[in-house]
Amino acid sequence: MSMNDKNSKSKEPGTDMASVRMKPNRVRDVIEKIVETIFLICALASVISVIAIIVFVFWKGLAPFVGDNAYSVWAFLTGTKWDPGNEVFGISYMIIGSVYATIGAILFGVPIGILTAVFIAEIAPKSLVRIVKPAIELLAGIPSVIYGAFGVGIIVPFVNAISPRPQGESMLAVICVLTVMILPTIINLTEASIRAVPKSYREASYGLGASKTQTIFQAVVPAAKSGILSATVLGIGRAIGETMAVMMIAGNPIGGIPTSIFDKIRPMTSNISMEMGYASGMHQEMLFATGVVLFLFIMIVNITLIKITNKVGDKG
Amino acid sequence: MSSRKLKDGILQGLIYLSAAFTVMILVVILGFVLYKGLPGVNTRFLTRMWDSKTTFIKVDKLETPGTGKGEGYVPSLGITIALDKDKKVEITGMDSNSPLKEAINLKGDPYQVKKEDLITKADIKVFEKVSVKDAVKVLEDAKSPIKLKVVRPGGGIVPMLVSTIYIILLSLIIAAPIGILSAIYLNEYAKPGKVLNLIRFAIQNLAGIPSIIYGLFGMLVFVQMLQMQYSILAGSLTLSIILLPTIISTTEEALKAIPQTYRQSSLGLGATKLQTNYKVVLPNALPGILVAIILSIGRIVGESAALMWTAGTVAQIPGALTGNEAGAATLTTKLYWIIKESGDLNSACSVAVVLLVLIIVLNMISKQITKRFLASKGR
Repeated sequence: MSMNDKNSKSKEPGTDMASVRMKPNRVRDVIEKIVETIFLICALASVISVIAIIVFVFWKGLAPFVGDNAYSVWAFLTGTKWDPGNEVFGISYMIIGSVYATIGAILFGVPIGILTAVFIAEIAPKSLVRIVKPAIELLAGIPSVIYGAFGVGIIVPFVNAISPRPQGESMLAVICVLTVMILPTIINLTEASIRAVPKSYREASYGLGASKTQTIFQAVVPAAKSGILSATVLGIGRAIGETMAVMMIAGNPIGGIPTSIFDKIRPMTSNISMEMGYASGMHQEMLFATGVVLFLFIMIVNITLIKITNKVGDKG
Repeated sequence: MSSRKLKDGILQGLIYLSAAFTVMILVVILGFVLYKGLPGVNTRFLTRMWDSKTTFIKVDKLETPGTGKGEGYVPSLGITIALDKDKKVEITGMDSNSPLKEAINLKGDPYQVKKEDLITKADIKVFEKVSVKDAVKVLEDAKSPIKLKVVRPGGGIVPMLVSTIYIILLSLIIAAPIGILSAIYLNEYAKPGKVLNLIRFAIQNLAGIPSIIYGLFGMLVFVQMLQMQYSILAGSLTLSIILLPTIISTTEEALKAIPQTYRQSSLGLGATKLQTNYKVVLPNALPGILVAIILSIGRIVGESAALMWTAGTVAQIPGALTGNEAGAATLTTKLYWIIKESGDLNSACSVAVVLLVLIIVLNMISKQITKRFLASKGR
C-alpha cells in the first residue's frame, strides 16, 4: 500500500514537469529573435560602410564632370599637367606613374618573394626558418611611414648617386620601396600555398628521378600557382594603394609623363594626400575624382582576386 | 648531367640569395632607424610635451635667502642654474621651499616652475649668451617680485602617446562589438544565400580599399559634413571601418575552431541558441578574439594616411571628442609630419624607434596568446 502511495507521489511531479516543459517561453523567444536581428544589423554594418564609402567618394568625385562648369572627362584622364591654380587637372601622367611603379615593384617583388617562400617552405633547416620567418613577420608589421623614412634616408641618396638627374626622388626609389613593402605579403601567401601542396606531388617527382630543385620548380610551384597568383594580385593592390611611403620619395612633379626610371613621378595616392589639406571647391572635387580612378583600379584588382579564390574553391 | 647540376646550383643560389636579401633588408631598415633614432630616445623624449611652452611669471624673493653652495646657486630664489648645451640658462636644482613653485602667471593663475625649465628673461635683462655668474647676479639684484620669462622645453612625445592610446580605445569600443557580433552572425546564424554572399563580398572589398580613400571618406563625412573638425572621434570612426574586416575574419576563425560538439551538447541540454552562444561559444572564442584585438591595435598604431586627414596633425592631448580641441596627432602621423616639415630624420627616427618597440611587443603578445590558445585546443 505504502509502495503504491510512493509510486503515485512520484508520478504527479512527473506529470507537472511535463506540462511545465511543454509551455513555450514566449519572452525568451522574443528576446532570441531581437538579439538575432541585432547580430544581423551588425553584420550589415560592413555592407552599409562599403556602400557609404562608394557613394560619397563617387558623388564628390564625379561632381566636377556634370553640370554647368563641367570639366571634360577626357581632358581629366588624358591631360598631362596638374595645375589647380589655373584649373588644369590632368592625371594621365599620374596613372602612368602609379602603373609603372607597380609593375616595377611586381617585377622585382614576385620573384624574390617566391624564391624566399620556397626557401622557408622547402629548403631551409629549422634553425634558419626560426630566423627568417619572424623577420618577415616584422617586415609585414612595420608601418608605411617608417618605410618612407627608410626611403628618404637611404634609398633616395643612393638613387641620387647613380642617377643622371639632379635628384634622388624618382620612379626607381618608389619601385625599390614598394618592392620591399609587398615582399611580406607575397612571401606569406606563397609559403602557405607551397605548404598546402600535397606531399604526394613531391614524392612522385622524386620517384621519377628528379632532383630537389627540379621538384620544386616543376612540380610544387606550378601546383601552388593559384596561391601565387592571389599573392601577386594582393601585392598589386598594396602597391597601387600605398600612400605615405611613396609620397616622400616620388618627387611629385606637376606634369610630364615619366620616360625613365630616374624621372620624378606623382602616383595618384600622393596626389590626393598632398593637397587634401588645403584644397577646396573644384580642386577638392578633382582630388576625389583622382580617388575615383584609384578606386576603380582597386575594384578591378579586388574582383580579380575574388574570382581567382573562387575558382580555387570550386576546384576544391 | 653536369648542366643539370649547374642549373640546380644556380637556382639554389638564387633561392639563398633571395632569402638573404629579405632578411638583409629588415636589418638595414632596423639598423638605419636605430642608428638615427636611438640617440634621441631618452627620458626627456619620453616624458615631455612636443611643443615648448613659454610663460611669463611673477615670483617673490625668499625673505630668508636659501643656503646652498655652488657657482649657479641663487639664494633669493632657492634654485641652482647652469648653462645647457645651447648656452641657455636652465634650472638644474630647486629647493623644496623655492618660491618658484608657487609663481603666478600674468593672468593670476598659479604656475609651477619645474627643474629643466629655462629662464630666458629676468625683468628687462634677456638671458642670451650670459654667463652663469652674471645670471645669478641679475637674479639676486632684482627687486621682488621678479618678472621672469620661463620656457618649458618640448621635443617629447607624450601628446602623441596619449593620443594614440585614446584613439586605440575609442576605435576598439566602436569596432570590436560590431565586428564580434557580425562574426557570430556569420558563423552561427547566417544561412547560405544572397544576404550572406553580399555581406562577405562587402567585407572583402572593405579589406582591399587603400587607406587614403578611407581618409578621403572620413574627411568628407566626419570632419566636414558632420562638422566634427579634425578630432579623435572622426579618426576613430574612420579607423573602426578599416578594422572591421580584420576583427570579423579573425573572430570567425576562432569561432570555426570550436568543435560543433560543444554547441550540440549545449543545445542538447536544452539551452537556446542565444544561451549557447554567450555561455559556451563566446568564452571559448575569447583567445581568438583577443588576437583579433591585438592585430587591430597593431593596425591602428601603424595607420597614418587615414588618420592624418581625420584626426589632424596637432601634437596635443585632445581635450574633447570633437571640435577644435580634439585634433590629435598619433605617433605615425607626427613621424610623417616631422619628415615633411623639417626633414629632421633624427627626430623622426626616434619616434620610429618607439613605434617599432610598440609593434614588436604587440607581435610577441599575440604570439604568446596564439601559442596558449593552440595548446588548449589540443586538449
